[in-house]
Amino acid sequence: MIPPPDGGACVAMVGKDCVAIACDLRLGMQALTVSNNFPKIFSYGDVHLGLTGLATDVSTVSDLFRYKVNMYRLREERNISPQTMANLVSSSLYERRFGPYFVSPVIAGINQTSGKPFICGFDSIGCIDFAKDFIVSGTASDQLFGTCEGLWEPDLVSCACSGDMG
Amino acid sequence: MGGFDFSNHNRNAALHAQGVPLPKATSTGTTIVGCLFDGGVVIAADTRATSGPIVADKNCEKLHYIAPQIWCAGAGTAADTEFTTAIISSNLELHALSTGRKPRVVTCMTLLKQHLFRHQGHIGAYLVVAGVDPTGAHLFTVHAHGSTDKLPYVTMGSGSLAAMSVFETQWKGKLTKDEAVKLCADAIQAGIFNDLGSGSNVDVAVITAEKTTLMRNYITPNVRERKARNYRFPKGTTAVLNEKIIKKEEISKYVTVHELEDDSVTATAETMDTS
Amino acid sequence: MSSEWPDTLAAAPGQYAACGRGEEHGLGVHWEVLLGITGKDFTIIAASKAAMRGATVLKASDDKTRALNSHSLMAFSGEAGDTVQFAEFIQANIQLYSMRNSMELSPSATANFVRGELASALRSRRPYTVNLLLGGYDEIADKPTLYWIDYLASLAPVPYAAHGYAQYYCLSLLDKHHHPDIDFAQGMKILRMCSEELKRRLPIDFKGLMVKIITKDGIREEEYADDQNVAVP
Repeated sequence: MIPPPDGGACVAMVGKDCVAIACDLRLGMQALTVSNNFPKIFSYGDVHLGLTGLATDVSTVSDLFRYKVNMYRLREERNISPQTMANLVSSSLYERRFGPYFVSPVIAGINQTSGKPFICGFDSIGCIDFAKDFIVSGTASDQLFGTCEGLWEPDLVSCACSGDMG
Repeated sequence: MGGFDFSNHNRNAALHAQGVPLPKATSTGTTIVGCLFDGGVVIAADTRATSGPIVADKNCEKLHYIAPQIWCAGAGTAADTEFTTAIISSNLELHALSTGRKPRVVTCMTLLKQHLFRHQGHIGAYLVVAGVDPTGAHLFTVHAHGSTDKLPYVTMGSGSLAAMSVFETQWKGKLTKDEAVKLCADAIQAGIFNDLGSGSNVDVAVITAEKTTLMRNYITPNVRERKARNYRFPKGTTAVLNEKIIKKEEISKYVTVHELEDDSVTATAETMDTS
Repeated sequence: MSSEWPDTLAAAPGQYAACGRGEEHGLGVHWEVLLGITGKDFTIIAASKAAMRGATVLKASDDKTRALNSHSLMAFSGEAGDTVQFAEFIQANIQLYSMRNSMELSPSATANFVRGELASALRSRRPYTVNLLLGGYDEIADKPTLYWIDYLASLAPVPYAAHGYAQYYCLSLLDKHHHPDIDFAQGMKILRMCSEELKRRLPIDFKGLMVKIITKDGIREEEYADDQNVAVP
């Protein structure tokens, strides 16, 4: 009996002057689907955070960062940049090094100061994976790795980034 | 220092007892090396990060900044090497500021080993510490449990055996800088080609009394060929069922914003009627 | 006694055995039936009437629901003791909120509050092992609502839901027959299909269902006949 890690799939990609982030909407345990309307991408101003893994932690972590980003906004009177968000996520996850949340986050956004696209991914204890091309996460990450390695090329335009997720 | 939050620990232990596997951490199944030469020290690393059998990052940075003249190569759990070196870097900076002296490599090594020993090996950081300070050039290894070594050439990580075979056959005393760089790069390449946990490119850092030179992607022996064909679809291949454009200026969805009419007027919670 | 049950059943309630909980008394957890169906202007919540302890039925008229305020109802199943304790704790706090603020918390706010309490209890020394369905009627949006929450504090808004083994029998029926705009009679018809399937296929007698309805007029209990026999092929 191994129920939880509720799974899900998430992918973020860089294209020409753009980023794309996508996720599935399923909530279920193994073969049993409980809901078909459980989004795993959360937006915090300019930054979009994808969270796959244990459903309860997806909610807890997204709520936690909503709180943290709102506090940042009130203190700094500006939006959080994707790079700052990456470090916030990283240090917040590493604080729980020995009792982690069962999530693997993905960040996608455009830095409003430099105008450059930014994506990155994390493991559950906050190690950042800065990638120039794409980031995948979730129970379908192996499959997503395959399709992305096969299909991704530099300077994809915005409509080509949004392909099918099986 | 090292204030961890264990509030999820009980729950995770209960989940684990039910058979839920613990999440896989990114690890740097790595080749890292270091070598002393006349007047300085070189460290080098490969750039592969793995998560189980998957290459998670093809070009990660395993050479970590500690101080201007002290650098660290990390193997083991990626998050641990990243944060352990960052926290020691921070403490060493404060120490340097309070003493008014350049930080020493032994001090760095001691801080690292004390931090790692305190956590009894649970912080999975395996490090090569190298640097030049007023007492000369130094090279150490620090293991996750807190043990350390001081040697003229060192290797660590899953590719350490492949790399060490290069050192054991080609190392000699009184190396020049260029010879040391070549030797380290060769050792890393031995790891890249012979160890499955290591791969991609070679990063090298050269530290002398005068300066530190970080040579990111010093050798790139695994450049990917351009794709011969592509699967690019013409615009409109995927039908757009609906489209929703969310404008950036939607901050008021998240917090309540009151624009002040005049910058010179500060907000007041209450005003007194003085008429 | 627990050795007579298949492994999966014994493992289910032992979720927190590592925290020093007994695992024997919760055996019935997954046999308890919780069902929720939303329609055009109503939410139906149904819960089995059997109170089970091990292999014994202690009561055949158990009410596994609590009204949180005039327009939300919470149904619960799980470890004995935890269920009522948690439900009444939530009920008291939601009512306190209503008194302090002279207004009622919306169903979505209620659901997120319940999830928050369950999630923080999950990180405490002794967590609650309860699965919940939160049926409600959102008077502002003028829509019926239903939230599915499990003991790990996973929260999902759903059009229809079930907990325990009932999920395996009922969700497929609901997938086929449910539409968001069904009227109350159609909703009850689908509920009847579900309860008949449960009677036919569940290996235990769950003593029928207690059915409650939430509409814009509030919460009411619906008579639910449970006398005819169901033919088993």
